[in-house]
Amino acid sequence: MAFVLGIDIGSAASKGILLNDQGMQASYECPSGGDFKLTAERIKKELLSQTQKSEKEISRTVATGYGSTLVAFADEVKPDMVCHGKGVSSLLPSVRTVIDVGDLYTKVLHIDGHGSMHNFLLSGKCAGGSGRILQVIAKVLHVKVEEIGELSLKSKKRIDFSTGCAVFAESEAISRLSQEVTKEDLLAGLHRALAAQINSLVERIGVEQDVAMVGGGARDVGLVQALKEVRNQDILVPPNPHMTAALGAALIAMEGLKDKIET
Amino acid sequence: MADEKKEVKPKKRMTATQAAASIGPMVKEFITGTLRARAEGKQKIAYTFIVCHHEEIFRAMDVVPVWTENFAGICGAKRDAERFLQRAESLGLSRSLCTYALCGIGFDQWREELGQMPPDAPWGGQVRPDFMISSGQILCDPRSKWYQASQQFMPDVPIYNIDLPYPLFQRDRDHRDVWDYYHQYIVKQLRGLVTFLEEQTKKKMDYDRLRELVDLSDRTWNLIEETYDLRKAVPCPMGTGDAMNTMVPINFMMATQQAYDFFVNLKKELEEKIAKGEGEVENEKYRLMWGGGLPAWFALTDFNYFNSKGASFPVETTYRMVAPLNQMDIPETKDPIEHLAWRWLGYWTFWYDKAKKRPGSEPDVERLINRIEEYKIDGVVMHEAFSCRTWHVGLIWQLHQLAKIYKPIPVFVTGKGGKKEKIYRELPSLILESDIIDITSYSEVDTKNKIDAFIETLESIRLNRAA
Amino acid sequence: MSETQSNIFNKIENDYKDYGFRAKELAKEGKKLIGHVCSFVPLEIITAAGCLPFRVRGDIHEPITKGDALLETIVCPYYRSVFDLSVKGKYDFLSGLVIPHGCDSMVRSYSAWSYSLPYSYFHFLNIPTVCVESSFEFFNAELNTFRRSLEKFVGRTITDHDLVQAIRIYNETRDRVRALYNLRKIDPPLLSGKELTMALTVGSSLPVDEFNALLDQVLAEVDRRGQSHLKKGPRILIDGACIDNIELINLVEELGGHVVADTICNGARDYFPRTDEGGNPIEALGRRYLDKVNCPKTYRENKTGTFEGDIASRFGDIGTYAKEFKVNGAILYVYKYCDPFGFEVPARKAYYQSINVPLLHLEDVYSAGTMGQLRTRIQAFLEMIG
Repeated sequence: MAFVLGIDIGSAASKGILLNDQGMQASYECPSGGDFKLTAERIKKELLSQTQKSEKEISRTVATGYGSTLVAFADEVKPDMVCHGKGVSSLLPSVRTVIDVGDLYTKVLHIDGHGSMHNFLLSGKCAGGSGRILQVIAKVLHVKVEEIGELSLKSKKRIDFSTGCAVFAESEAISRLSQEVTKEDLLAGLHRALAAQINSLVERIGVEQDVAMVGGGARDVGLVQALKEVRNQDILVPPNPHMTAALGAALIAMEGLKDKIET
Repeated sequence: MADEKKEVKPKKRMTATQAAASIGPMVKEFITGTLRARAEGKQKIAYTFIVCHHEEIFRAMDVVPVWTENFAGICGAKRDAERFLQRAESLGLSRSLCTYALCGIGFDQWREELGQMPPDAPWGGQVRPDFMISSGQILCDPRSKWYQASQQFMPDVPIYNIDLPYPLFQRDRDHRDVWDYYHQYIVKQLRGLVTFLEEQTKKKMDYDRLRELVDLSDRTWNLIEETYDLRKAVPCPMGTGDAMNTMVPINFMMATQQAYDFFVNLKKELEEKIAKGEGEVENEKYRLMWGGGLPAWFALTDFNYFNSKGASFPVETTYRMVAPLNQMDIPETKDPIEHLAWRWLGYWTFWYDKAKKRPGSEPDVERLINRIEEYKIDGVVMHEAFSCRTWHVGLIWQLHQLAKIYKPIPVFVTGKGGKKEKIYRELPSLILESDIIDITSYSEVDTKNKIDAFIETLESIRLNRAA
Repeated sequence: MSETQSNIFNKIENDYKDYGFRAKELAKEGKKLIGHVCSFVPLEIITAAGCLPFRVRGDIHEPITKGDALLETIVCPYYRSVFDLSVKGKYDFLSGLVIPHGCDSMVRSYSAWSYSLPYSYFHFLNIPTVCVESSFEFFNAELNTFRRSLEKFVGRTITDHDLVQAIRIYNETRDRVRALYNLRKIDPPLLSGKELTMALTVGSSLPVDEFNALLDQVLAEVDRRGQSHLKKGPRILIDGACIDNIELINLVEELGGHVVADTICNGARDYFPRTDEGGNPIEALGRRYLDKVNCPKTYRENKTGTFEGDIASRFGDIGTYAKEFKVNGAILYVYKYCDPFGFEVPARKAYYQSINVPLLHLEDVYSAGTMGQLRTRIQAFLEMIG
């Protein structure tokens, strides 16, 4: 039985998924660190040991993400947006618009029923609206980034936060805290500002229903809720939304394998 | 995060045409030429800007132009702008301002401080001018601020600032209602330039020579138009990558026989290529338009990257600073200065009438639409250089408007129940982001990722396109 | 402050917070409101046409959520905020908008404005870059074009007499504003920078006669104060473009300084230059808006042959204010991406040095989010000069 590997080396976190025609066999994630090559090796080793397979049994590997070109053992490199499209479509086939809130960028893409991307847009360098701000704020508040979503939902009196820009969020957060604002209300304000910025990107490219949110940012329930409120529309979030690019990469590897057999 | 090495020696971009390959030495020669002129001291040297329709006046007066935007671009292309940008920054200038100007001011300040060229100055450096001709147009604020800022370090070098406005497009107005007084003003401004140059060179303008030079550049304008039109051929014989070289004679050498001859040769070369069916890329799959923005001079090899994916660029809006004179509705005149002023107005208002005829259109959008149709374009690529508002504000809106008013592409998709359905998609577009010369703004990984994703969207449309 | 705060300042604060409150009422009554940005728009012509000029404002507390979908983030951040508020519908009560050739951000975004907003009248006003005989001729013609286009819009002729009347009433505003500024010559000033900038900001949303009445009330109120309710502190001049949110000024004053002078658009740049009366009104307006409004956008020839001479003539007004208002220090506050001001920073710095006024240079992005960072730097500066 043929196994394929999808591997997503992001700027903050890296993920891998091992797949065969029965579905997902193993998955693994870790921080990307400074050496992307090493991280890729580590993910592969980890997945092999989870499934007790040997390297030879992996028939095809597709790499994606910020550090994908450094994955020496990949057979093919694919843009992360293409992979997200495939991954999301396999889990939520009705989705036509995918919002990927990553560490450095937010990306919006349109896909068809097969998960093929036909249009996309990235947040500008200066527009803010990427996941980085969540990490920054977690540090300022001394909370874990995984906790901020729940905290935000507990807010009773959301503050008006004036920026979605990671550079200025820190100083604004600090000066707000000195005005005795609670963590919860501050986070709710930040989520709202960030959601509004993401929404402006979404509006620029336009929306085809259904809409899904993926990437590390989609694990933040506070942000998802804020975006739903800003858009006044439901947003689907697949399980493990940060893994959809790795999943898509694996699915593309599988397709590649089939193409090979057919020809 | 992995470090991307920024200041590596640039790879040389591969050109499709011989003509484009000959540009490098040509540019080097006119930098060397300015150094030579300085040493000989016979001719006056002037800093100035491109696209001011004043080249004929310069050449007729034997004044040597130093195109300061060009020199900054060279620093950028050689990946050697950073030290001049940092020097400008240390003077209190923000890195968010026009980086051409920052590079130029940083260089000038350094040269004036040393009393000689800064160490290892690119191609021998930018010479100290005798005077500076800046311009206030309806676009580009830095043009009237740059030399003023440089003058702090060389207060003895005078500036003449020519004002060259044109009527901005307004849907409900006819620009001809106001252009007489625009014309009068521009004529007076250009005559003021002549007077200034006469004072500086202590020579009188030879109007017969001026008339000849104006005629020469008019003929060059028409020739450029004919030459570039040849790029409509499938496959396209020359792309935007090459046009970023051939912009040199258009923008820095107008009103010279050399520029005219250059396009005679280029035209011949393109005709030969077309006869042989030779394209910019071997297997042309996608025809793209560079629809806005100055290029990242340090990353011109990105054009090769596009080419490697089967994408060719038959047309660009950037640096094609000419329009067919025979299609311009401007009055005849025997006075060369008056003609220059009319040509200026004719150029900037070229798309106005057409734009008014199409609901929702606007000159920049109209130009995109016309080029899309004439050059059979599959997608539009733009570049947003963060430091330049002049050419990079309005691009998003232009794409937005294009999507709104231009006919979409029919494609087949598999709909519910596996049935083929015909739907419509807008023309794919991509905005790259970095700068003209500030390499710290550039990420090769992000750029290639965006290009790869864009190619995927082009491919998806190519495969599913309905007739 | 709260004890001495009177009704008029309460009213100003309310109108400042609910900017355009009165304008909306007037629009409902059927008045035509014409929005404008930048000091280069001749309000006298709008008023002479029977319309009400209204300065569109940004909001540093409001995140950009819609504007970025149509306009690049590399535009002037102030302008970006104004655009964002406009596309969100904040100024939908306007009948029109006039954008002048103030800077690239304005010129290059004109289409985005005029195609995206629901106003029925748009006009672009070209402003020459130089001050010479031919540019005045051109500008006068351009002003007449503006006049004609407004005439067409309102369906009536704007006579020279209308213009003369409007010029007079705007000069009255300027005289009153000047009188307000004079109240800050006293140490400590009789009126805070926050109070003044708030009043002027509110004024730019009102019909000119109502603004004049408001200024009279403010003058009377400050007169009643008799003496200053403020504590002595470093006297600061703010140098920059349009600062239509009071946070920066407020910060300086919270930290013990007093803003007593400025060069800003909604301050001295707009309100100090008067229009000459008695001659041809268009020519007088041409002179005022082209020559007397001192904006870095206008290129002024160096006639001295020296750098010192050049900056003395370009920035001489700053030196005059510094003396008149006994300034102890200045803050040069420049927006990121602002080419006209940005390229003047080294020359302005040199000028402040030449007149011995300590200077703090700040670059900012028009967002309340940065105030924390600014606080630290302003505090250190005030301590240094205090």
